[in-house]
Amino acid sequence: MTTEHEATAGEVPGLGFTNVDPETSARPQQFYPMMREMGVVPVEDMMLLTRHEDVMWALRHPDVFSSSMDAIDIGNVRPLIPLQIDPPDHVKFRRLLDPLFAPREMEKLEADVRRLVTELIDGFVERGECEFNSAVAIPLPCTVFLRLMGLPLEDLDLFLRFKDGIIRPAASDMAEGRAMARATGQEIYAYFEDVIAKRREHPEDDLLSGFIAAEIDGERLTTEDILDISYLFLLAGLDTVTASLGCAVSYLAQHPDRQQMLRDDPTKVPAAVEELLRWETPVPGVIRAAVGDVEIGGTTIPAGKTVTCLLASANTDESEFPDPELVDFDRAANRHLAFGAGLHRCLGSHLARLEMRVALEELHRRVPAYSIKAGETPIYTMGIRGVEYLPLVWDTP
Amino acid sequence: MRVIVDGDLCTGHGRCYALAPDVFGPDDYGHCTVVTQATGDGTVALSFEAQARVGRDSCPERAITITD
Repeated sequence: MTTEHEATAGEVPGLGFTNVDPETSARPQQFYPMMREMGVVPVEDMMLLTRHEDVMWALRHPDVFSSSMDAIDIGNVRPLIPLQIDPPDHVKFRRLLDPLFAPREMEKLEADVRRLVTELIDGFVERGECEFNSAVAIPLPCTVFLRLMGLPLEDLDLFLRFKDGIIRPAASDMAEGRAMARATGQEIYAYFEDVIAKRREHPEDDLLSGFIAAEIDGERLTTEDILDISYLFLLAGLDTVTASLGCAVSYLAQHPDRQQMLRDDPTKVPAAVEELLRWETPVPGVIRAAVGDVEIGGTTIPAGKTVTCLLASANTDESEFPDPELVDFDRAANRHLAFGAGLHRCLGSHLARLEMRVALEELHRRVPAYSIKAGETPIYTMGIRGVEYLPLVWDTP
Repeated sequence: MRVIVDGDLCTGHGRCYALAPDVFGPDDYGHCTVVTQATGDGTVALSFEAQARVGRDSCPERAITITD
């Protein structure tokens, strides 16, 4: 059992697990049936909820499973907004933020996202090969994020360093990883404090200026509120879409029949995005803290215990998804939890969907049948499930 | 057929109106509302019943119920 315990403990962003064997990180799905058999799985100092039913229950009971700062430490000094805010304050922030990321708002970005994807593909299509992570999966979401926030594109490398410093610090143990995350966190606060001050002087047409002007119940957001939102956006908005794109394209590169389906019929792309999100679940788990003693799935979880809701396992639970191992772009009801559930449902889910859909549409319109470069192997990461090395090849005319 | 959306359960996944846009639509927050031209008084026109079921079946929160 050692292998999968190490693997699943790696769901915690910031812990910097590096000693997981490549086969485990490439195919974590193989361990979930056994874990669901166990139900609630103790791993080190936390408990994993692995069944769809238990995960749903936990995510829907924020009074029992809190998402406060007790749940996870990612280098921040105040609760991230809205992730680490429990009811009743949570809804106030979501009422402000939800309209900004609603599907109707995201649709307005589609042309811009498509132009960006087109430019990225222009850069490599004639070469007959690319390393997908650096060619598309990293620059696409990061550029979209910078534009949304109204930040200069020259800061791209800085932002990559910020998010990697928190999510995968180059540390040899957990204590060092936490210290590095905290140091990076201070840099993030300082960066945004400076930008917020500038926007207060000279507002622009961007999200940060919008936050400065926004009111909740007649009160303006404080600089700290805006920092706590920005910090979360940086961590939640960049790495996750990079990971999702990498997982999807790596799967398609290794399953030419599914890939060809999208080339033959682009209208299948939205359903393929959902099904690949279900199967890959790039954010494999979300973390909560038990407020009091609670019994779930026949196991008592003591107050204060950290609990990981293993979305990836819930998403392959046969009680919810018939034939869960089958990646089926025609799956009839796909109630996957890749974006979580309950009141902390991923705020950026509709932006993520837009970026994934447009990227897969353009990729399969422009790039002929692609595969993993001979002799090479995609390298998957633990924690956030991404593909940090994804060498693709295809025939050129 | 009638559709009922539980506003306390809906958290804005948006799957219903993505897949069944004639029956469900978003409010300003991206949460689910029932589109009235398909449903009038909440009763789903026969031609939209299949779509209504797809919307219900795709909701991760199971916020949509259908009654006859």
